[in-house]
Amino acid sequence: MTVLSSQNRGAPASLAPSTILNKVWRDRWIYLFLVPTIILFGLFTLYPMIASFLLSFQDWNGFSREASYVGLANYQEVIADPQFWMAFANTILFMVITVPIRVTLALILALVLNNPKLPFAGFFRTALFLPVVTTMAIVGVVMTFVFDPVGGPVNQVLMDTNLISAPINFLGRSNTALPTAMGIHVWKWFGVTLIYWLAALQTVPEELYEAARVDGASVYRTFRHITVPLLVPFGIIIVLITAIDTLRVFDLILTLTGGGPFLKTEVVEVYIYRWAFNSSIPRLGYASAAAVFFGLTTMFMAILQGLGYALVRRMRGTS
Amino acid sequence: MKLSRRDFLKLSGIAAATTASGGLASFMPVMAQDEIVMQWWDHFLPLQPLTESVFAAYKEANPNVSVEYSVFSPPDLGQALQLAYPNDQAPDVHALAGINVPIAALQGEGWFAPLGPHVSEEWKNSLPESIFIEGRTTFGGELYSFPIFSFRWHEALTWFDKQILEEAGYDPEVGPRTWDEFRDAAQKITANGGGTVFGWTQGIGHIDRMGATLTRLAHLAGSSGEFDWSTGEYAYGSDAFVNALEFLVSMERDGSLFPTGITIDTRNARSRWATGSGGLFMDGPWNPGVLQGNFPEFLEVVGVSQAPVPDLDTPAYTYSSPKSGDFWISAQSDYPEHAAAILQEFTSESYQIALAERMDQPPLDLDTVAKANVHPTYSKSMDLFRDIVRLAPDPLVKNPAVSEVLSRMNDIRPNLGEIVQGAIAGEVSDIAGTLQAYSDQLSAERERAISEAQAEGFEVSQDDWVFSNWDPAADYTSDMYDA
Repeated sequence: MTVLSSQNRGAPASLAPSTILNKVWRDRWIYLFLVPTIILFGLFTLYPMIASFLLSFQDWNGFSREASYVGLANYQEVIADPQFWMAFANTILFMVITVPIRVTLALILALVLNNPKLPFAGFFRTALFLPVVTTMAIVGVVMTFVFDPVGGPVNQVLMDTNLISAPINFLGRSNTALPTAMGIHVWKWFGVTLIYWLAALQTVPEELYEAARVDGASVYRTFRHITVPLLVPFGIIIVLITAIDTLRVFDLILTLTGGGPFLKTEVVEVYIYRWAFNSSIPRLGYASAAAVFFGLTTMFMAILQGLGYALVRRMRGTS
Repeated sequence: MKLSRRDFLKLSGIAAATTASGGLASFMPVMAQDEIVMQWWDHFLPLQPLTESVFAAYKEANPNVSVEYSVFSPPDLGQALQLAYPNDQAPDVHALAGINVPIAALQGEGWFAPLGPHVSEEWKNSLPESIFIEGRTTFGGELYSFPIFSFRWHEALTWFDKQILEEAGYDPEVGPRTWDEFRDAAQKITANGGGTVFGWTQGIGHIDRMGATLTRLAHLAGSSGEFDWSTGEYAYGSDAFVNALEFLVSMERDGSLFPTGITIDTRNARSRWATGSGGLFMDGPWNPGVLQGNFPEFLEVVGVSQAPVPDLDTPAYTYSSPKSGDFWISAQSDYPEHAAAILQEFTSESYQIALAERMDQPPLDLDTVAKANVHPTYSKSMDLFRDIVRLAPDPLVKNPAVSEVLSRMNDIRPNLGEIVQGAIAGEVSDIAGTLQAYSDQLSAERERAISEAQAEGFEVSQDDWVFSNWDPAADYTSDMYDA
């Protein structure tokens, strides 16, 4: 941008070049264009985070005008609540099980779809990405019918093919409800992971594959010694993005099972919602404490993601 | 005159500055005085056309007054009010669905404006004496609100397809009367259903409703309800609650429960019941009203009978707490006199008849149902309610400081409805132990809240939950609190 060239920056002569004001004035156009983002980020991301953090040290039902300061009592109560840990365990279980499935399956399909000789590759990519653009809450509602034990298509198919002798109440039993929710989540977001992998595969030079073919390398050895090493940096990022993605399943669980039966599918987000908005006396401070605690977990994941980025950069640098 | 771009910008700037500094604002009050727009929030979706007709009639008499009417779902209404009040954005009039905070606590926060100063003594005298309940409709003797519905109803009536019940060998005019009959009828309906019709369709996933339904069944099995009024203790661990829950669980074990019912809510369950899952369905008096709107053909084959009881030899009753007001004028309203004038319309006979014709909760004056054009099952429901629904004592009425305890009590989870769902889903094996543990946890939580309230100077104790003169067969009327 020529307007930002040193000749046109026009800093007042009275200001020392090193002062912050001088720098701001010099880059005023940049800051001006940043203002909308800063305002929106501040209003809808930063402020709620700070407010939630401050609220976590207070006892407030949302109706009274004043909240009372309770120090760390909310955190102590959250940590002592077995329901919270059950929700926490469900959340972590959700992540630990769905991430490997989603990442591995998406990689396998990406390898297949990346083959330039595959007919209708574009169609398959689109079809697999289609669930991503649907609304999660709607998916949750529709899936209650899909997995319905009375006339639902899944049970119908399983019965017709004699795989089961009696319908399975997928969402009504604790041993099947959470795995069913996991399966739906994988199906819904599978396309995103697939796109990540396809993008990563585009970065592998075709010449390397050609050289391997000339050298007589098998498909497995080509994959093992060319594709995998080059995809590892991307894999780290994809795993981390997918992991963070699985921490956000509020709308799916709420519409699919409501956290039931008997709280067996309750995840931390639903736990927070219940205490903040769905309990006899709303406990916004307590819910905020649970949210902050959970947020720290998410932040831990984000830090891992940052380390992943750093690792990628270092690996790229050395290569 | 041709304006240059610079002149245009100057003029625009002056205009904007004038507006911002209030230059034009001096004209606004004139308009505001002429045009009054009130905000009205409630959750009575089935009553929307009726409510709107009241607003329209009021506007006809007062052309400068109009009402912006918003109907929310109950949880949304609670959340909207939760946000509106602290930000001085409260509507002029609203209902209180979605908020479980004791009304006295909200009154303590300064939420409401009194109705009394804006209504005539004549109108007040026309209201039934039973609705003037301190802490529910009046505060300090001043009237703030009134119920438009009667307390005399319950949500455990047995609804069924008459033909299906007849095929199971039961008289649809009588219905299954006992738990054994209910269970037997459900089994026979399932056996006749060919895998698609089930004996019992219920929205077990509707947690709050299932807690209330279990409490009704426990009442009919001899419990006084949530509390044992002779001691003031929580009664969820009593035989009546345990037996009632075991009765519900037994129907799942029999294979009578519509399998999808475990996770769905009542609205969804009603749709499934009305569109083919058949069988027996426990619901309130509003069922024909909803069916009339959504499944009018099915309504024609529907019958209703009393909620089932353990045996026919013991007189059975169910208890409802005194009704709170249904609509409240906000203390933030600038037009309480108009709000009060509109609210008075809700007690007129024509409104009460029209209310009955919506077939929702029973109107305040049950006698108006006889004058209304309603489905026979709705009329029959009123008779069934008269037989067994009694007015329960209310600790809040005995001592308004009880609200200080209730507002300090935290939820215990899993709650009653979740225990019902867990037991039916097979997650709760020790029903008696789980209900007793729930009762004990509630007792401990109440004890803590009582201590906290006492420490802050409120005179309240567990004795406020004791009503030694309670008669299971009679309404607990206002005069009995003084005895």
